[in-house]
Amino acid sequence: MATATTVNIKLSRSNRIYRSSEPVEGKIVITSATSISHQAIRLSVNGSVNLQVRGGSAGVIESFYGVIKPIQIVKKTIEVRSSGKIASGTTEIPFSFNLREPGESIVEKFYETFHGTNINIQYLLTAEIPRGYLHKPLSATVEFIIESGRVDLPERPIPPELVIFYITQDTQRHPLLPEIKTGGFRVTGKLATQCSLQDPLSGELTVEASSVPISSIDIHLLRVESIIVGERIVTETSLIQSTQIADGDVCRNMTLPIYVLLPRLLMCPSVFAGPFSVEFKVCLTISFKSKLAKAQPKSDPTAPRLWMALERLPLELVRTKRDQFSC
Amino acid sequence: MEFEFRRRDYGATIDSQLLPRSQAHKHPLSSTLVSRQQQAKTVRGSEIDFFDPLRGLDVNASAEEEVEDTSISTEAATQDLIKEWKLLKRILMQRFPISFFLWVITGHKARKIISLTSVEAPSVLSHSEETGSEQISLEETAKIMNQQEYMAKVHELRDGITCAWQAEDRVTSLKLSIKVTKLLMDTTVLQFYPTVFVIVTDMLDMLGDMVWERIKQKAELDIDGTVICSLLMISVLKQERLAITGFAKLPLSIIIFIILPTFLCLSFGLSLYAHSYLELAILPCWRFLINQPMEVLDRLLMMVRGLADPLASLYCRLYMVHRMQKFGFCNSGYLIKCIKDIEDVLAPILVDKEGYSYITDDKKLFFSLIEPAIEYIMKCLFLTGRQEKNVLGMLEELGFGRKKLHSSYNPSHMSILLHYLLKELPSELVSSLAMEILDMIKCSNDCSFSQVLNYKLLGTRLSEGKSQDGFLSSLINEVIQAASQYQSLYDYLRIIDAYVDLTLQNKMENHLDALLDDIVRLSCDKFLTEEEQASLQSIILKLLSHFENLQEVLSLNHFIEILDLMSGTSKSSVNMHLLNMGTRNGCISDSTTVQLLFEVSQALYDATDFVTIKDDDNRQTSHLISRFVEMVDYGAEMERHLMFLAECREAFNGIHELKETLVRSSNTLAVKALKAGKKHINFVKSCLAFSEVTIPSVSTPTKHLNLYLETAEVALLGGLISHSDGLVMSAVEYLENVAGTDGLRSIDVDSMASVVCKLCSLLVMVPGNPEKDVMEILQSIFSATCSSSWAMQRLKVKLFCAIISLSSTLSQDNLPYHCANPEIIGNDLLFFGDSSYKQELVSFTQLVLGELLNAIEKESSQIVRGNLALEACNCISSALVMNEKVSQVCLRLLETAKGCLGANDRYMESTKKYLQL
Repeated sequence: MATATTVNIKLSRSNRIYRSSEPVEGKIVITSATSISHQAIRLSVNGSVNLQVRGGSAGVIESFYGVIKPIQIVKKTIEVRSSGKIASGTTEIPFSFNLREPGESIVEKFYETFHGTNINIQYLLTAEIPRGYLHKPLSATVEFIIESGRVDLPERPIPPELVIFYITQDTQRHPLLPEIKTGGFRVTGKLATQCSLQDPLSGELTVEASSVPISSIDIHLLRVESIIVGERIVTETSLIQSTQIADGDVCRNMTLPIYVLLPRLLMCPSVFAGPFSVEFKVCLTISFKSKLAKAQPKSDPTAPRLWMALERLPLELVRTKRDQFSC
Repeated sequence: MEFEFRRRDYGATIDSQLLPRSQAHKHPLSSTLVSRQQQAKTVRGSEIDFFDPLRGLDVNASAEEEVEDTSISTEAATQDLIKEWKLLKRILMQRFPISFFLWVITGHKARKIISLTSVEAPSVLSHSEETGSEQISLEETAKIMNQQEYMAKVHELRDGITCAWQAEDRVTSLKLSIKVTKLLMDTTVLQFYPTVFVIVTDMLDMLGDMVWERIKQKAELDIDGTVICSLLMISVLKQERLAITGFAKLPLSIIIFIILPTFLCLSFGLSLYAHSYLELAILPCWRFLINQPMEVLDRLLMMVRGLADPLASLYCRLYMVHRMQKFGFCNSGYLIKCIKDIEDVLAPILVDKEGYSYITDDKKLFFSLIEPAIEYIMKCLFLTGRQEKNVLGMLEELGFGRKKLHSSYNPSHMSILLHYLLKELPSELVSSLAMEILDMIKCSNDCSFSQVLNYKLLGTRLSEGKSQDGFLSSLINEVIQAASQYQSLYDYLRIIDAYVDLTLQNKMENHLDALLDDIVRLSCDKFLTEEEQASLQSIILKLLSHFENLQEVLSLNHFIEILDLMSGTSKSSVNMHLLNMGTRNGCISDSTTVQLLFEVSQALYDATDFVTIKDDDNRQTSHLISRFVEMVDYGAEMERHLMFLAECREAFNGIHELKETLVRSSNTLAVKALKAGKKHINFVKSCLAFSEVTIPSVSTPTKHLNLYLETAEVALLGGLISHSDGLVMSAVEYLENVAGTDGLRSIDVDSMASVVCKLCSLLVMVPGNPEKDVMEILQSIFSATCSSSWAMQRLKVKLFCAIISLSSTLSQDNLPYHCANPEIIGNDLLFFGDSSYKQELVSFTQLVLGELLNAIEKESSQIVRGNLALEACNCISSALVMNEKVSQVCLRLLETAKGCLGANDRYMESTKKYLQL
């Protein structure tokens, strides 16, 4: 066979985002130099929550387990075409199916797609073309993204729940350099702790005083994934992204904006399901100029250090109705 | 057969040929002069009509301009600003040239730049990682990288961005752009920053345009390439984005909603520098989403505040303003916020921890670097303000006009900001806000910009526009007070320089006096530096150009003292103006003025090297001095005048032009003395003697000769025959000498001919000396002409003709004119009836005629020869009686002419007619 036969799944939406209530549409594109006979063309949908416990916070025994049994959200197979023959050239076979049939009862809720460190919520669409024993079956897999399609989503705008925070040498629970401790500093600001996924994380921050010059102020987005393993809850906190909002010793009493666009694929609405939960946090770090900081090899930027002041705030992410227009 | 002179009756000829004369009511020349002067006076009287093209337009015109201004379309303004931006870039590159690279690119920077150009795309580093790597490389040994290498790297980087973009590898091109922005993080060497800024922003602009084009293209075209909607449509659609449900199905929406945030997302997690610059670069793309992205602009404005380095943050703001205005997002509100932020950023730099504000070299450099940026932002502000027709409101936001409302409000601005604000302020507002601005300048005495220059600028701006005198007096008073507090002459002069015009125009004599007093007080016994000289010069020149009359200037307090302060080139320049002014209003008779101007001239003369250098400047100086000598008039004190001339001759020995003036003046003086009466004859003699000894030093031959003749005429008028004889002889001798030296090839033939003709006509009046050979002078002229190698044939022919005419005239019984002095007897009476005299003339003429014919034959050019022959023919026929011999000569000449010119020449025809041949 000169050219390989290829199978592709092309979804109707280029961003591949669907609600659980909507039909998933698209076409299977088969390109082949010769005509192929097949037993059937099947399409299977598989949605699951994959949980994994890795070292660190997990105990020794759990880490042996590694993968915990995934939680099935949806699994179904549809036959798009019964056995037959496909002509040479490009053949497109359209399909459409509902994730949730009207009368069907589903075991699990349709969680939104999420890719984390320990928790992965993934929806895959696989096309399979078995061709008997002599030929290798042809197959293609594509991931599609599920966004919450609930009707009771809050209207936009959600009331901005601004949390006022202030950071001084006394709010720090970890040891600070003596000159920072004695010289003192005061940074105040406010931040919206409830935030729509489509909106940026917003707020503001003011350096009111600082005797030691500041070298940088950063906003770190953290996700906190918790899994119940047996009797224990294993929690893993990981850094999603950092955004610098001040570089150098900024002017005092000047309001700086906090504005962080949320990375779509790395975040999802906060989830509190039975066996697992996904939460988010915002960590504000103020690094002071210090020789120690330069000597220190780079590591986790949110870890408490002698030359850094920290403030962690919870962040609740929600999906709002407006988002439904986004595609 | 002998020649015979034709008899002439000059009186009859005059009577017959005289044109009828009638009296004119006005002198044709004087009348226009008077009316012009009157015109000039009216112009000065009512200044409203006065139109100076260089000055700003007057009230009416400015009103019109305002109307036009308001109609400035946004696009035109944007175009203006784009031009401004280009200009700014050029200024930045020029003022802080790239040669800095040579020593700038050492050590870690070089390494960083090299690492920037590596094409392998590493994962996007977080800024903390960057600082770490920088730290390590700091310890690297210095590595020199020259500017070509650096530029090559930069170009490579730029090409990398374009190539990657074109190859659809947008992530790489974005990553490269991020690297580019990192260049801007480094402010270790300040001078280097503007150049890097220009290079980097060029690249970012390019990137921004590419992104814009791409989104636009995506939005306009379907995947198949068919146009689905134009940009115009999009702008309509995006406004009703939520209303149109079908809109969600357009692929464009996907692109807009996905590409843009993705782009932004990518730039997050980066250093603030990369983030800010990239977001600014793609700022225009917000247009696809919203019409006026207010929130975005607000946020960006605040985001830039996070850049703590003052230089970097200022340049970042500059780029922000540039991007905003380029896409019409500009709005005075943002600009004002921006300016206020700048003020906040700069404030800590001005004042040290101890609360002192003193200038260091670093600060000076820093402020010089931010100047262009601030100027650009201010320009934008006022352009936008005018567009929005809200300049006043804008100023109010900046703190103007509030003082009256809140007495406690302190409207001080940083002096550098104030300077550029004032520079861009519309001139009609400058005068209405002048007092307030003055207060602000007084308050803003910081090291960011020289307060002196701010005072100066206020003055300059005030003199530009139309100012009301109401407040001017108190304003100038305050300025003078403020200026005198400086205790430094240079500062004082610089400030006052701008206000002198205002003081003069508004006739504030008391201020002017105070000002001059101060100058003298501050400069007491001090040698002025070059800068001080220049400022002082400018002030003095303003004074001089304001006053009509030198006397008025001299009567100013301390003026002479101030003049004495000057030295060097500025002194010369002032001196030139003084001389010019002194000589432009007619005669100078006041002895103190003469003395002053003489000293001035002497100083000028001493300052100029007349012997070796000959250029235009010298010419002007010598012209001015000569003019001054010419204009001096002592009236009845003629002896003193002559003495003055002698003094001048001594003092200005090197000026050739002046010699002529001296002789002329002395001659004029002699004539004046003659007119005054007989008793002055000795004085006349001394004048003549003065002239006689002065003439030989005149170098130009024709001038030399002319002066001899002129002096001889004066001597003749005075009845001093021996003097005039001597002078004429000197002239003739000089003529011979010219022939002898032969060094003067550049003699103008025609002017020489006219001088000799003039000599001949003078000789008509000069009585021959019976004791000597009567023909001596004539023969001398003749022999000089014959032997001269300098005289071309054409000239010779002319001179011979003149001599023949002269001989003919002298042979007449009644000469055509006589000397005005009745004591001098003409040759007609002196040799009346003396046949030997006439005989001598005839034989002499014969001799000359022979030479004349020879000379014609020798002429090489045919046409010239023909014409000369005809000329000679005419001359001969009018001088001599047409007997056989003469007609033979004439026929011969006509033949020559015919041969040369042809038979049909009109001159020949008329000559033939005249000769009746």
